[in-house]
Amino acid sequence: MRSTRTRIELVLPPILLCVALGCRSSVAGPIGERREVPPQRGGTLHAATYVNVRSLDPAVAFDVASSALEGLIYDQLMGYDENGKLVPQLAETVDMSSDGKRYVFTLRPRVLFHDGKELTASDVKRSIERSLHHDTPCPVASYYERIVGFAAYHDGKAPELTGVEVAGSRAIAINLSEPDATFLHVMALPIVTPVCESAGRSFQRDFTLRPCGTGPFRVLEYNPNQRIRLERHQGYWRPGRPYLDGVEWQLAVQTFVQRVKFERGELDYMRDFSEADSVLYRSSPAWQGFGEWEQPLNVYGIFMNNELAPFDNVHVRRAVAFAIDPRVVESVYPGHITARHRVIPPTLLDPGSDAIAQSHDLGRALEEMKLAGLAYDPVAGKGGYPKEIPYLAVVDTFAQQAAEIFQQQLAKIGIRIRIELLSFPSYLARSTRRKNALMGYVGWNADYAEPSTFLEPSFASSSILDEESMNAAFFSDRTFDELLKKARRSTDALERDVLYRRAEDRVLEEAPWAVTYSYRYFELWQPYMHGYRPHPVLTQYLRNAYFDLEQRRARTRGDSPSRGALAAFARRGRGAPATTLALSLLGASR
Amino acid sequence: MIPTILRRLAFSALTVWAVVTATFVIFSVLPEDPARAVAGAQARPADVARIREQLGLNKPVLARYALYMKNLVRFGSAPADEDPAQTLRLGPIRVDLGVSYLKRRPVVELLGKALPPTLFLGLCSLMVEVGFGALAGVIAAARRHTPFDWGVVAITLIGISAPTFLTGLLLQHLFARELMLFPIDGYGTTAPEKLRAVVLPALTLGLFGAAYYARLVRDEMITLLKQDHVRTARAKGLSERAVLLKHTLRNALLPLVTVVGLSMGTVIGGAIVTEKIFRWPGIGALSVDAVFERDGPVVMGVVILASLAVVGANLLVDLSYALLDPRTRRQ
Repeated sequence: MRSTRTRIELVLPPILLCVALGCRSSVAGPIGERREVPPQRGGTLHAATYVNVRSLDPAVAFDVASSALEGLIYDQLMGYDENGKLVPQLAETVDMSSDGKRYVFTLRPRVLFHDGKELTASDVKRSIERSLHHDTPCPVASYYERIVGFAAYHDGKAPELTGVEVAGSRAIAINLSEPDATFLHVMALPIVTPVCESAGRSFQRDFTLRPCGTGPFRVLEYNPNQRIRLERHQGYWRPGRPYLDGVEWQLAVQTFVQRVKFERGELDYMRDFSEADSVLYRSSPAWQGFGEWEQPLNVYGIFMNNELAPFDNVHVRRAVAFAIDPRVVESVYPGHITARHRVIPPTLLDPGSDAIAQSHDLGRALEEMKLAGLAYDPVAGKGGYPKEIPYLAVVDTFAQQAAEIFQQQLAKIGIRIRIELLSFPSYLARSTRRKNALMGYVGWNADYAEPSTFLEPSFASSSILDEESMNAAFFSDRTFDELLKKARRSTDALERDVLYRRAEDRVLEEAPWAVTYSYRYFELWQPYMHGYRPHPVLTQYLRNAYFDLEQRRARTRGDSPSRGALAAFARRGRGAPATTLALSLLGASR
Repeated sequence: MIPTILRRLAFSALTVWAVVTATFVIFSVLPEDPARAVAGAQARPADVARIREQLGLNKPVLARYALYMKNLVRFGSAPADEDPAQTLRLGPIRVDLGVSYLKRRPVVELLGKALPPTLFLGLCSLMVEVGFGALAGVIAAARRHTPFDWGVVAITLIGISAPTFLTGLLLQHLFARELMLFPIDGYGTTAPEKLRAVVLPALTLGLFGAAYYARLVRDEMITLLKQDHVRTARAKGLSERAVLLKHTLRNALLPLVTVVGLSMGTVIGGAIVTEKIFRWPGIGALSVDAVFERDGPVVMGVVILASLAVVGANLLVDLSYALLDPRTRRQ
């Protein structure tokens, strides 16, 4: 009797507390209904981000949070259509010379900056020079190193970037020192977007507070750590666009708070979910059809240092690649993590039906160990690599969990790893130093939407340095280098894809990495929001969104299923009995 | 008295210098390159090297330290090339804390914007702490061994034990999400909005402090209530209220003043967790971002400000002893 009472005393308070706080394992339903409506103008879109936006100056901002906002404020010479295909944006036409070393961009007529001035070729030249100026802390200036005269200008030894020529009021020519397949893609980055004259000729720190470009929205307010408010650019060159009156982007909002605001209709769109909320929304029948996964433009893997034993032996590297089963990792974090077998995401390069891939095959892994002279008997547990191998992973990240899985999988082929957990800075310092780290976690996010962004930094011999080597595997292969060089110089898109595929195959065969998984985000929006779905290439590309304004009014009428307990009580009328109020306040209103 | 104050001031300056130097050294020997943090993990070495040069990080640590200390405090009129936005002028003194690596704004400007919200939150939370804490402590001491006393002891135990991130989330959930009485986060733009916005973060911070103060005052009062002078006061036939308020509470205030004074110093340093949870644009949020992003100038600025505040508060507490306790004045 006494023990039963004790149990009740222990269990009851948490239950009461949970009820009082309204603990639920479900999510509030959508606001309004989904109807097929034509695009209509009006409304302010509310979105939020978990992190802060570092800057809105396109010359220096190159993080994910900034790029989402830059997609609303700026237009580039080149852009991507809804299928992720590279197309001219501010340029009406782009002509490439037969040798692939000269591009002439003809600007669209009557493109206006946010300050009302018309865009000219001189503005384009000034903007490119501003970003690549010696005094501008541009994090990716070297992407433009093939522009003629880049080195002299960037080093402050020349007054202008000679490779960029004004060839008329609306024509700008850019000369390259050699053909470069990535060039048009890097011209689609906001880094070289045309900016107003107020931006100056080199970096001005106040420009981020009053950014000015040619995009569909202009900045009304930039309150760091709080919010950014945008309003429609009335002089936008696309007639009738954008549909929205404005956008309000809240900064540094906790995921729990984002969920509450989304439930109330204070946010129309959401991307930063806690793991639990992501599962709840995805499994909720009420939310089916209102969310979608982003295309993952990243790849993670295990690097193996090709310069150090035992990974200087290709058979050991292949054994590791065959022993790893990324589907196990996928099952740990279903949805967000997807197993990968090739390096380049299919969005950027179709691997083709006969593509080779790294896939789990324990038998072949043991065979490769044998070929390496490290035969392992899994039944007796004898043989294999005699030493323990330190494996670098970043503490408190998914890489740590994945490492624990890989540890077990590699043990099955006689490779024992010892996981070394490091802070990200320490990991970066260790993994990029020559002859320092044997193996560990590695990952890469696309910097631009072209296959070489995945191949060149991580696998090219030119990326090897004694310190800060981007090629963490220190993989050096002449065949791969030649294929990559040819692909980047090729002006024929079909030929280029074939070359990239062959280069990628070479990486998979030589296995400097064991490719493991990709991470992707889930995005969700209220039913009244139309014209949006995750873009294949660009993050949170919300510029074409519009609202079903009638349905959206539901949120201001208080029809939201999640308006708080007091509101729920108020809806029940003043005559409700006291027990109803008590239940409402105890969170049982839904 | 004046020599004592001067001696304390000199010691305070030495303390601040030591803190600043230690922070500079620690930040300089950490493995991560701030230029890499600015450029991004995937930036090419050539771009990182250029940014390192632009930030002056390619110079030896000693040279950087000498430059920082030289610019930190200067006297007299400003040279023509000095950026006025980067300098805080205090009469003839000019303070230059540098420019943030990541935000690319002058640190004095960032601190100037973050300080008012932090002070506002800090003062509101102190009011909650002292108000609730002192009152609960006095009543609990006066009604010792009653359910009220046990309740105060139990609640303060929970209050001290509960981390602020938990208290903050619970308050957000109950008062902002369920009852919708207060904004769930943010700072607001108008004065009424700010007043509503400060309630939950002030309660989050204040409940922890209130529990601590309640315990402090209760224990102090209980000790004092056993003293001879209190027994004499009761024997004189004074009412219990007069005994408590006139003969006990004033004496119990001395340790309270010490703790409140020291708290005021730490308030300036910001409440890191609470400010992050409630998206409060104060020093705490600024400093935690700066630490994670390896933004050295901002971290240095926060450390200087916080150490000045703590040292200043210590000085004021010491001086206030002289006012509250005549024995100290005589010493």
